Amino acid sequence: MTSPLTTGADARTRKGPGGVALSLALLPALAVVLILFGGGFALGIVQALGYLPGAGLGEWSLAHFARVLSDPDFLHSFLLTLYIAGASTVIAAGISIPAALGLASLSKRSRVIHFIFQMPLTVPHLVIAIAVMFMLAPAGLLSRAATGAGWIASPADFPLLINDAWGIGIILTYVWKEIPFITLMLLAVLRHTGRDLLDVGRTLKADAWQRFRYITLPIIFPALGAASLIVFAYTFGAFEVPFLLGQTYPMTLPVWAYKHYSDIDLMARPEGIATGIVIALVVMAAVILAQVLTKAARKRGLIA
Amino acid sequence: MGELDLKNLRIDYGARMIIRDFNLAVRNGEMMSLLGPSGAGKTTILKAIAGLLAPAAGDILIDGQSVRDVPPEKRDAVMVFQKPLLFPFMNVAQNIGFGLRMQGQPGREARRHIGAILALTQLEGLEHRKVHELSGGQQQRVALARALVLKPSVLLLDEPLSNLDANLRQRMRELIQTIQSETRMTMLFVTHDQSEALMISHRVALLLEGRLRQVGAPRELFYQPADPEVARFFGGRNFFQGHVRDGKLHSDLGVFPVGPQNGNGHVRTATIRPEDIRIAPRATGQSRGLRGRVVKTRFEGSSTRVVVACGANEVMVLTPEDAFRPGQEVEITVPPEKIRLFPGD
Repeated sequence: MTSPLTTGADARTRKGPGGVALSLALLPALAVVLILFGGGFALGIVQALGYLPGAGLGEWSLAHFARVLSDPDFLHSFLLTLYIAGASTVIAAGISIPAALGLASLSKRSRVIHFIFQMPLTVPHLVIAIAVMFMLAPAGLLSRAATGAGWIASPADFPLLINDAWGIGIILTYVWKEIPFITLMLLAVLRHTGRDLLDVGRTLKADAWQRFRYITLPIIFPALGAASLIVFAYTFGAFEVPFLLGQTYPMTLPVWAYKHYSDIDLMARPEGIATGIVIALVVMAAVILAQVLTKAARKRGLIA
Repeated sequence: MGELDLKNLRIDYGARMIIRDFNLAVRNGEMMSLLGPSGAGKTTILKAIAGLLAPAAGDILIDGQSVRDVPPEKRDAVMVFQKPLLFPFMNVAQNIGFGLRMQGQPGREARRHIGAILALTQLEGLEHRKVHELSGGQQQRVALARALVLKPSVLLLDEPLSNLDANLRQRMRELIQTIQSETRMTMLFVTHDQSEALMISHRVALLLEGRLRQVGAPRELFYQPADPEVARFFGGRNFFQGHVRDGKLHSDLGVFPVGPQNGNGHVRTATIRPEDIRIAPRATGQSRGLRGRVVKTRFEGSSTRVVVACGANEVMVLTPEDAFRPGQEVEITVPPEKIRLFPGD
């Protein structure tokens, strides 16, 4: 046998740019984020803690948080928000996996399909919510079409898909909007390492199912997790879609927070802000988790 | 068994023909190099054998059985890629055992095979390491181990050493040779490095512009190239034409005895390798060498490349002496027995 080859001691190490230089370069952008988000968040906490001199409140207290958290309506709203965000995320992620695999297997000539997939990213949520309303409302396009086709006797027979208890209109809006986002995140990973590793898997005797189970899923998992958490964070904290398409009771947390904040009774404002702080904490937890997953994916070399 | 037969293979990329009329037989237990410059189609052929590319025409036989319609996962051929392409979410042992797991091999037996391969590829002690904690050489050895553990009839190696530095490359080459001689596994080793091909293989197949130009033992390709292109690929220089008359080559460089079998009455292209030409400073007395002047020199460490102008011709000489300078008058000697004549013009 030949002389021993290298051992683990010569493993490569990679150094990024200096932390101080990077921080300085990012300072202008960070300042804007910190002032707008951090400042707003700090002001919100101050007001949620009861310091609202304009409304005649000047005592620091956790009473508003306690009142919000002990309110049964808060729990209903929280569960509804969780359900809508969770269902939207799971459905969008579930559709995005085969969509990304399909796009990854297409040749470069499929740019039109890529373009079609990218289009929803540029359309604001509000526009899609209005489009969904026009389509799915009891007097909307679909109900009229169904009536015209003779499938239902009148538009009143059309199932309730907006302002409904299951939040179908809201979920459809989010699913339509978020599928391209998750798909393109997965596609980037699959393009980066996926094809080569699948070829390796094929020569190592893995059949189609085994390649999906043991190669594709582990490859896309960090990106899927990160993208899903971002979608979850957004849908959990978004206001305009449930405001337009949601039912009046129970309402999602952001709508609930807005109603309190804009209540004619200024004393309700701290509760609205306290609700907003709870939403912000959930969103931040999801974003941090997404960052952890992204970092793990980068460490594994799954994303650049 | 591990015989590989490629018959009249044609591989296209779209409308472009990459490989044509490709025939190659790799014997059982043989280490064959598929040598050629970048873009010659070497990887394409390997991918076709592995089943990752479908040939437009021809057939691929492993142990006498056509595998043209057999999917890659069912073929008894495993490919090691240019990049290690390890699964980043698995550790070393899991990477090596991947193929065994896909074949449903029981854990204890798989662990025994993995242990043996870890020893063979000098990876013992690294089995629980994560992939990103390994050096480039270690990663490539894991990729090799991952293929070897399946004991395929044919192992396809696609320039597995090209991303390694010179020292590591040398040691990995020796490791592959050792493994091949110990396992007697049939290996088809793709490389663009002629010295690597000559060192590592029992036989070399040279691929130029999508066509197989010569197959043979390393010495055969080096000393008896089939045509000037093959000779050029192996570092051949000093091509000149001459007329063969009465067993002698009459050329601008001089008259050289080449034997009567070399086609009396015909114009022939001849070549002589730079290292076969002897060079010396011009002597004051009578000499039988060709006279010339040094045009330029290039120091290459253990040897120096010297270009000598002999009349209208330039002759390249490779000498171990670093004693020549541009403008110097020299004499060169061309040993007739080292001249290689090619058939045709």
